[in-house]
Amino acid sequence: MRAAEQVLISRILAGEKDLFLELIRPYQRTVYATVISMLGSIEDAEDVTQDALLKALARLHQFRRESAFGTWLILIAINEARMRRRKLRHGIMFSLTSEPDGDGAYIPKDFADWREIPSEALERNEIRDALAKALTSLEEHYRLAFILRDVNELSIAETASILGISPGAVKSRLRRARLMLRDLLSPGLQNGGHLDLAFKEVRKPWE
Amino acid sequence: MGITCEEVWRDISDYIDDELAPKQRAALDEHFAECRHCTAVLEGTGDVIRLYRDERVLAPPEGFRKRLEGRINQQLKQGPVEIMRPSRRAVVAWALSAAAAVPLGFALFSRKPFTLPGFHHQGPADSPVTGLVAVSEDNGDKFFHIPSCRYLHGKPKFLPVEEAIREGYSPCAVCIGKRKIEKKG
Repeated sequence: MRAAEQVLISRILAGEKDLFLELIRPYQRTVYATVISMLGSIEDAEDVTQDALLKALARLHQFRRESAFGTWLILIAINEARMRRRKLRHGIMFSLTSEPDGDGAYIPKDFADWREIPSEALERNEIRDALAKALTSLEEHYRLAFILRDVNELSIAETASILGISPGAVKSRLRRARLMLRDLLSPGLQNGGHLDLAFKEVRKPWE
Repeated sequence: MGITCEEVWRDISDYIDDELAPKQRAALDEHFAECRHCTAVLEGTGDVIRLYRDERVLAPPEGFRKRLEGRINQQLKQGPVEIMRPSRRAVVAWALSAAAAVPLGFALFSRKPFTLPGFHHQGPADSPVTGLVAVSEDNGDKFFHIPSCRYLHGKPKFLPVEEAIREGYSPCAVCIGKRKIEKKG
């Protein structure tokens, strides 16, 4: 755990509560990204992210310093999002019980050469929307593995501990998620990010 | 080519994470050098990860931080954050106090006429606080609460508001706040 974070946490617990905003600044986006990938709606995601961060503030004294603060925070956020989803009865969208067939062979589609998508393309709403949509179209066990590892940049071990699965299972979910996302985005994001992607028409090879 | 494309796709994600044994990694490197398709898959996958890592993707909506700041400040102003306990305990405390409140309330109410059975009912912010309030030794502080207050922990003791004040308790900033306290002897 980063030393600066340790100091901030100690100071907050000693009464300098205003520093909490500073403590969570680096995690604000990743917590939100995790929550929105689970809930889909911007309004719910903002609300649940705020609830999760407030809960983290209230429970900061329970945070055990041997784990990373970011991991702890994400765990709270995932639980909050699940609780909200139960409330909203969004359950139909996701199946949490079915075990992923993560070890099955996945054959990536053949899209000639991949041309790198310039970061400037992300200035465009449609590109950002396409990325968000592609992620949402994955089943949740793939989506969460990808979000934790590739968006939150947690380690495989941390991702495994949050999801309560083995590191091997994380790796296989991650592999599927990454390849599926590439397949989903490839036809649309080629030509330097010119979007001609209609998600409805995209074949989902895992179905 | 030492390994097949299928083997490469199986290991490509671990390759990106640098989780492969050196020998297998070398085999993939060798394959990439010769296979255009697998190289496209590798580059595309790497690119997708890079794009999702960008702060602009899945970013909170405009004004998010300001609204968050507002809520945090509101909570800091309201609550004695340092005495907050895990929510499970709060829920248990709430359940205990709510369960205890009704029969106890009636018992006490029938013996002594309070203005209102103000009991486990957290009235509107401007309604006066009357009747019984709850205190708990487990809180380790000297605040009295509405029995359903989430800052009330452990086994609450119920007593008339005037008695709580006499015993040196002050009103909880969250559940009672600026509500008027009506004493009735």
